[in-house]
Amino acid sequence: MAKTSDTCRKCVLDSATPGISINEDTGLCQFCEHFTSLSQEKIKEYGTRMDSLLKSPPENGKYDVIFALSGGVDSSYMLHRIKREYPHLKILAVQFDNGFISDTALENAQKFCALTKSTYMRLSLDQEALQVTFSKAANSFNAYPGAAKYRASDICNTCISIIKQKIIELAIQTKAPFIIFAFSPGQTDAPFVTLSKPILVWMRKLFDQNLKAMGVTDREPYLIDAHLIQPGSYEHEVVIIHPFLIWNYDKTQFKKECIQQGWIDPNLKDQNSSNCLLNAFAIKNHLDKYHIHSYAYDLASLVRQGYMKREDALKKLTIQISDASNEEIKRKLKL
Amino acid sequence: MEEPRKDILDFLKKQGFLNEKTRLQDNDSLSETGVIDSITLLQLIDFLEEKYKVQIPVEMITPENFDTLAGISQSVIKLKNG
Repeated sequence: MAKTSDTCRKCVLDSATPGISINEDTGLCQFCEHFTSLSQEKIKEYGTRMDSLLKSPPENGKYDVIFALSGGVDSSYMLHRIKREYPHLKILAVQFDNGFISDTALENAQKFCALTKSTYMRLSLDQEALQVTFSKAANSFNAYPGAAKYRASDICNTCISIIKQKIIELAIQTKAPFIIFAFSPGQTDAPFVTLSKPILVWMRKLFDQNLKAMGVTDREPYLIDAHLIQPGSYEHEVVIIHPFLIWNYDKTQFKKECIQQGWIDPNLKDQNSSNCLLNAFAIKNHLDKYHIHSYAYDLASLVRQGYMKREDALKKLTIQISDASNEEIKRKLKL
Repeated sequence: MEEPRKDILDFLKKQGFLNEKTRLQDNDSLSETGVIDSITLLQLIDFLEEKYKVQIPVEMITPENFDTLAGISQSVIKLKNG
């Protein structure tokens, strides 16, 4: 008889997921077994560093910060709070139009930019080519390395990587010293990332390899402009900041505060996204291909760190996509 | 060179979902074999800085130095020995 799967008694990871093992004696997954929480001293140290960076940004160019704004709860809350804590910052908030953003997310993003006096930019690429790229991501297998498959679906990894590449490109072009992403403490564990030219060249190369493995032929539009990171090009330093690793991450509170500021809940029936119509399909596609729920690792990490209740995370792992929505996305992606 | 190499392998097993059975050679490319992506790389750098109490200069983080077990181990030892 086949052995049934076990779920970690602390987080939500399950031994049915490839690569996840549960210790029979402790009932813990390998991540919970080795987990040590970040000390208050360390968090304070990170907070001091963020203050020192954002309180007096170098006067390089038109903007101090390039901000990745999806129009969902996390990024809307963060934009509002960053501007509340550092009102002097000149922010360019960039919303990437992947062709599947809800109308409400578009409205929310523009509303929060007006509220925070940030400059709004809708970043659009060739929509037809983008749909073909997402379609290739959906049909791909192992285009991303091991760890990346646990962080996000192939479709979301593609979308997020494009956003990263293009936002870094904008920071270099506009000489902005900082980039801010609203990644949760489950999505990243590095509060600051200093981008050197060799790292950027490498990041570009890695994503180019992923796109190539998917069969994407016209890859340049998705990558950092190679001329910008050649030897002898830009000289200023760009630092990525992830403030949710410094502030307390409380999504329920964020949503409450956003709604008070006029944020509208799009009610997408997707437990894990309040902005993207493609997300639920991407989760299902990933689960079908690899038996990995692309939010499990992120949610497990939030539970492990005490930012989310285990039962709430388990609820979020249920698949919420209707047959009609699934078919609609498939039709749009020509799958 | 054994110590950083073992720590790097342990880290990759814990964080990078490197299969227990995978046998990585010292000069295998970690990115081309699909063991690391840019996020895992940055996590590995954080881990090494903390573990060995060194500051890895951003200029040092190149594929030549940080894409193989041998390259990373040598870089850490070089920094540790000043």
